[in-house]
Amino acid sequence: MKVIACYKWVLDEADLKVDAKSRALLTDRTKNKISEYDRNAIECGVQLTEQVGGEVVALTAGTANSKNSLKDALSRGPAQAVWVKDELMSQADSAVTAKILAGAVRKIEEFDLVVCGEGSSDEYAQQVGIRMGQLLNIPVITFVNKVEVKDGILRAERKLEEGIEVVEVKFPALITVLPDVNTPRIPSLKQILGAAKKPVQELSIADCGLSPADTESKVSRESVLGTVMERKQIRVQGEVTEMVQQIVDLLNKEGLC
Amino acid sequence: MEFELTEIQSLIQSTVKEFAQTAVAPIAAEIDRTHRFPEELIPQLAELNLLGVPYPEEVGGAGADNLSYVLVIEELARVCASTAVIVSAHTSLGTWPIYQFGTEAQKVKYLSKLASGEWLGAFALTEPGAGTDAAAGKTTAVLEGDEWVLNGSKIFITNGGYADVYVVTAMTDPSKGTKGISAFIVDKDAPGFSVGEKEHKLGIKASSTTPLYFNDCRIPKDAILGEIGKGFKIAMQTLDGGRIGISAQALGIAQGALDAAVIYAKERVQFGKPIANQQAIQWMIADMATQIDAARFLVYRAAWNKDNGLPYSKEAAMAKLYAAETASFVANKAIQIHGGYGYTENYPVERALRDAKITEIYEGTSEVQRMVIAGSVLR
Repeated sequence: MKVIACYKWVLDEADLKVDAKSRALLTDRTKNKISEYDRNAIECGVQLTEQVGGEVVALTAGTANSKNSLKDALSRGPAQAVWVKDELMSQADSAVTAKILAGAVRKIEEFDLVVCGEGSSDEYAQQVGIRMGQLLNIPVITFVNKVEVKDGILRAERKLEEGIEVVEVKFPALITVLPDVNTPRIPSLKQILGAAKKPVQELSIADCGLSPADTESKVSRESVLGTVMERKQIRVQGEVTEMVQQIVDLLNKEGLC
Repeated sequence: MEFELTEIQSLIQSTVKEFAQTAVAPIAAEIDRTHRFPEELIPQLAELNLLGVPYPEEVGGAGADNLSYVLVIEELARVCASTAVIVSAHTSLGTWPIYQFGTEAQKVKYLSKLASGEWLGAFALTEPGAGTDAAAGKTTAVLEGDEWVLNGSKIFITNGGYADVYVVTAMTDPSKGTKGISAFIVDKDAPGFSVGEKEHKLGIKASSTTPLYFNDCRIPKDAILGEIGKGFKIAMQTLDGGRIGISAQALGIAQGALDAAVIYAKERVQFGKPIANQQAIQWMIADMATQIDAARFLVYRAAWNKDNGLPYSKEAAMAKLYAAETASFVANKAIQIHGGYGYTENYPVERALRDAKITEIYEGTSEVQRMVIAGSVLR
């Protein structure tokens, strides 16, 4: 089975600071990481190929900075990585990202399954996977929290608000996975060191069969501001019953209950 | 000269940090409080190849460099100094002598099991009457036919009672001073070998520190490690590498304490603003951060020297001396920044201070490090 696991190289929110006055995000000392839900996607692909045989190709599209993601992705089990490099990715909307990734998938040619995170941990638009499926003309299963492959059929459980829906699909197909689909394993040192020896293919937008007109974003990001929590520092004192009443009164005053 | 880690080293660092935060940090306070050796961590560390970091893959190790090993110990120590020293003592003290001085047969028997983490190693040099004066040991080894017979005792042995294999020094010829000391490999089930009660210590309480007893302990003739009479040299060279591990442990303790102090200083409000806005606190943080970075580069430099085949005895001594004293300084200041809360077990900084102190003592006291450094500089 050949699985393509897509991931996005995002800012690590643990390093993000917010300027208290302007609420601008301070990113000069922020590291990047593979988006949380995409780690689940990679792990999902690797677990499936461990069960039924095959290999995983890690796929990403990003600016030059994304090069730093490749060994991280490869250390998690994929046999190779494909990387579409272009500075326009810093401003690409979901439609453009999906077109580029779909173009790269066509370049990879033969595959059985594409796995994406349900959304990226920075914007969580939840569009790229679905758009890719449409562009590749393959069935899409979203909100997957359990998946198995047997006799060439993929069986997935979808976690919906109303309950769990079980669906089956033949390959080729695309799934978008929720974080509870698995717990990504921490790579061993041998896996990390082995990542440096795995093949990486770099592609351009043109290699993906796209022209500049195809990559014009219709949605542009005007600004991104952080939130700053102002602590009220109100302390309640007294007997337990008195304190509880004080807290309820405060919450009522804030319109919170 | 570059001051940045390579991509792979950065990845190793962030991966071990994730493991430390998810698997080690949640139990760190409990194993300290209950003095419990974290047996459940050993297979997890082995699975991630963290018990043989600087050893080649061919012998069961991870195949990484010594700088990566330092990063591993530092990240573990950041959340749990006990776990860090379990790994460091096993890797640098228990495994390295066999890797460096073992016969082919000894390497086949022991090395892959140690480097893969299937077995845990330990190193036994210190005796009740032989600490800094390491050559004053009284444990003897006498060849009787096809066996060495060991008699005596060791004290303060890290991983005692949990190790599968111990590298032990003993006197084979009391008339020859340091040249009369030899090294041996002792299996945990060797007849006549026993482990005493765990010490109750100020810090690194989850690390097992025990005496070892040799009462007509019989080991095979080929259990001698290296040549007869070379045991003291083996021990001193082993400690040179062990110092790099301990300096990384001290560095991690200091960094963990600083991390906690920064978080607290930003959250604690007094006089209507976070104490991080007060210059007294800012200056403490500045001093702590600067000393940690200075220690960091000494530690990394020692590891880099070892990786590049350069002499590292003086550099390792400098790293351990400075990092150990930095750990105690930073932990002390971290408690000060936390105020009264820092004195309670609810915050990790009191544990940092208790853990930091031993780094100034074991694997060569700070005084011994000064002797080594001066000896090198004044040569």
